[in-house]
Amino acid sequence: MKNDKNIIEVKNLVKHFGGVYAVNDLSLKIPRGEVVSIIGPNGSGKSTLVNLLSGMVEINSGVVILNDAEKLKKIKSYEIQDLSITRTFQEVRLFEQMTVIDNLLVVLTNRSVFGSFFEVHKKYHLEEVERMLQRVGLEAKKNQLAKNLSYGQRKLLEIARALLMKTEIYLFDEPFAGLFHAMIKTVSGIIKDLRKEGKTVILIEHNMDLIRELSDYVFVMDEGSLLAEGEPDSVLKKKSVIEAYLGK
Amino acid sequence: MFSIYAILGVSLNLVVGYTGLVSVTQAAFYGIGAYATALIAKTAGFGFFSSMLIGVIVAGLIGLLIGLVLSKFRDDYYVIVTVGFNIIAYGIFMNWHSLTRGPLGIVAVPRPKIDFLGLHLDFNNNLLFLALVLVFLALIYFLARFIAKSSFGRVLKAIREDEKAIQVFGYNAFYFKLAIFVISAGMAAVAGSFFASYLRFTSPNTFVLMESVLILSMIILGGLANLKGSLLGAFILVLLPELMRFVGFPNEIAAEMRQIVYGVILVLLMIYKPSGIMGEYKL
Amino acid sequence: MNIVPQLILNSIIAGSIIAFLAVSFNLIYGATRFFNMAHGTIAIFGGYIAFFFFKTLGWNMYLSAILGILAAGLLGYIFDRIIYLPLRKRKASGMIMLVASIGVFTALQSLIQIFFTSEFQTLSDISVHDRLYTIFGATITQTQIYILIMAFIVAICLIIFLKYTIFGKAVKAISDDEEVAKIVGINTNKIIGLSFFIGSGIAAIGGIAVGFDTGLNPTMGMKLLLHGISAAIIGGVGSVYGAFIGAFVLTFVANFSIFWISGEWQEAVAFVLLIIFLIFRPRGIIKR
Repeated sequence: MKNDKNIIEVKNLVKHFGGVYAVNDLSLKIPRGEVVSIIGPNGSGKSTLVNLLSGMVEINSGVVILNDAEKLKKIKSYEIQDLSITRTFQEVRLFEQMTVIDNLLVVLTNRSVFGSFFEVHKKYHLEEVERMLQRVGLEAKKNQLAKNLSYGQRKLLEIARALLMKTEIYLFDEPFAGLFHAMIKTVSGIIKDLRKEGKTVILIEHNMDLIRELSDYVFVMDEGSLLAEGEPDSVLKKKSVIEAYLGK
Repeated sequence: MFSIYAILGVSLNLVVGYTGLVSVTQAAFYGIGAYATALIAKTAGFGFFSSMLIGVIVAGLIGLLIGLVLSKFRDDYYVIVTVGFNIIAYGIFMNWHSLTRGPLGIVAVPRPKIDFLGLHLDFNNNLLFLALVLVFLALIYFLARFIAKSSFGRVLKAIREDEKAIQVFGYNAFYFKLAIFVISAGMAAVAGSFFASYLRFTSPNTFVLMESVLILSMIILGGLANLKGSLLGAFILVLLPELMRFVGFPNEIAAEMRQIVYGVILVLLMIYKPSGIMGEYKL
Repeated sequence: MNIVPQLILNSIIAGSIIAFLAVSFNLIYGATRFFNMAHGTIAIFGGYIAFFFFKTLGWNMYLSAILGILAAGLLGYIFDRIIYLPLRKRKASGMIMLVASIGVFTALQSLIQIFFTSEFQTLSDISVHDRLYTIFGATITQTQIYILIMAFIVAICLIIFLKYTIFGKAVKAISDDEEVAKIVGINTNKIIGLSFFIGSGIAAIGGIAVGFDTGLNPTMGMKLLLHGISAAIIGGVGSVYGAFIGAFVLTFVANFSIFWISGEWQEAVAFVLLIIFLIFRPRGIIKR
């Protein structure tokens, strides 16, 4: 329903590792159906925020509110799919010694132990996977082991895997890093398509041009806190943002 | 004996090769199966098949408990704890005199008998016994194959590759790992039952740590994540002492020589081909 | 209850023996970051070598012991060179190295079984020369006192050595990050090789001590190792001081448990303790 404006709201979120506060009393609101970029210098806590939202690390304090309804203090990674969240990883985590097609089929499987035992992949699963492979341009490689793919192909595969989840929220951690022009176009296209479908995309990215081109809204983080937020053009011109990147 | 080891190999490969958990505790379940069958057949007077069934259930339950504890550990620590369990199991076999008669073992374990619908088979005949074991081997092999090729198996492989990543997509790895561990334990128990019946006798000395290591080596040699490889590995395992006797090594040291060969093979494998002969997975 | 002082004394003796293994295991783990499953068997290998020279050939006891230590150290070093080093060069995972060490363990234990039989072999000169002392109603032999003193000396020496020498600092650097250590110019392979040598040698002292105390048996290697690892984990993996303390904690608990459980279950008790620690306090007693 489009009447709740924020799909995710984060309130006073704190995450520390030992004595280091990666996310320090962070509060922000992410509007539904938009492409939102999170930027900031290295170590500002962007990846940690995404890790918190996807249950990869535990929240120390603070709360994550989904759809203005569910208040979450603990998120477990295997639950996020039910929360309609999915993600990719900065370091590209694929199932290396499995084939491309298996990498995708495996996430379409029934989630319970018993269910997956007796499941027989209907044709539509395979068709879905084929279609996805075509969309990202990897059909030729479908029987190759994931570890034999080129860097760009691996990133595409990861995105394909996430897309298959058909969730409402997509967390992409540096999806464009190291990609060539052609692949950048493919990935941008995908993000634009998602936006057209009304999905919410949260992007961690460093490439300012892409951020300007794709995002509706930008959050700037620095040292675990929110430094600035707003429309891309205005935020990227702010003095404080530029200073943060260049180092004070 | 080949078939018995083959069953053991297949069961362990499911856990190690497919799920990526290096477990050195298989002999414990092997032993549980053997002892359970032996005890129940003798004391409660049940037939072989019922005893075996009970053995499988017992092994499964204990596997559940152990699996629960093991789930808290990863990698190196996992291995150490499995070693620990094997030793505890051995301790129980050796020391719980009232149940297992300790080092004396249990003797006069009966062979199976089928008295069913006019079919009257007494498996005291070794050839017939072999046929029976092969039948079970085939059953277990195909069961394992079904598991491996199923969606469940695919999730196991993903867990092996990157456990945290697959969880993001909604799969609670804990349950999957537990499930396969229990299944594997049950299979090993079947092997144990046949072992007890074959030798008509069980003793703690068969179920030592080294046995688990041997089973592990066997599947690594044959190939991780490849069930045919486990069969190959079992075949080689059983063949090796014969070969060595052939080449002239005296009988008394045959067992140790086999172990040395396995130790060396394991090292060489790790250096040159960590996935084994037919394997599809590197540790 | 005059069994208590004896228990305390037994625990201290057993603890000292395990301390050798725990401490040396820690050293090697610190440098290589994998669990060397063959470590215990190398320890008793040292014991067996000493046995060979002392009992079989009749050489001087101290000389035999030293030979045992050197032999074990050398063996550990050789294993590193021919097995673990090539694996490290291939960037093998920790699991591959662990499984390789299982292979070494298997081969070595079986080799010992062939040459020295599976029976217990004892190093001690059957109590004729061994004086007994009585403290608070508990008896302790002279050999045991030596073992105890050695344990403390070795532990203290090692701690000082690691803390103040360049070698020690290099080991710490490597254990923090091997790549960076290499970049900084540390010859990691040489240092690791040396750690193996020293570690195996120290472990061998434990092996020899066991030979004097209870006797040697091929399968003891793994048992000793597991106790050593338990001690190291209980005390805090990576800390020599912790491993030392952990050894005594382990033996005290195991020994005093005979009040509730009969003696043969001590192994199981040791493991249960280990598992409890791993679950609830994986960092060990000593806070890093």
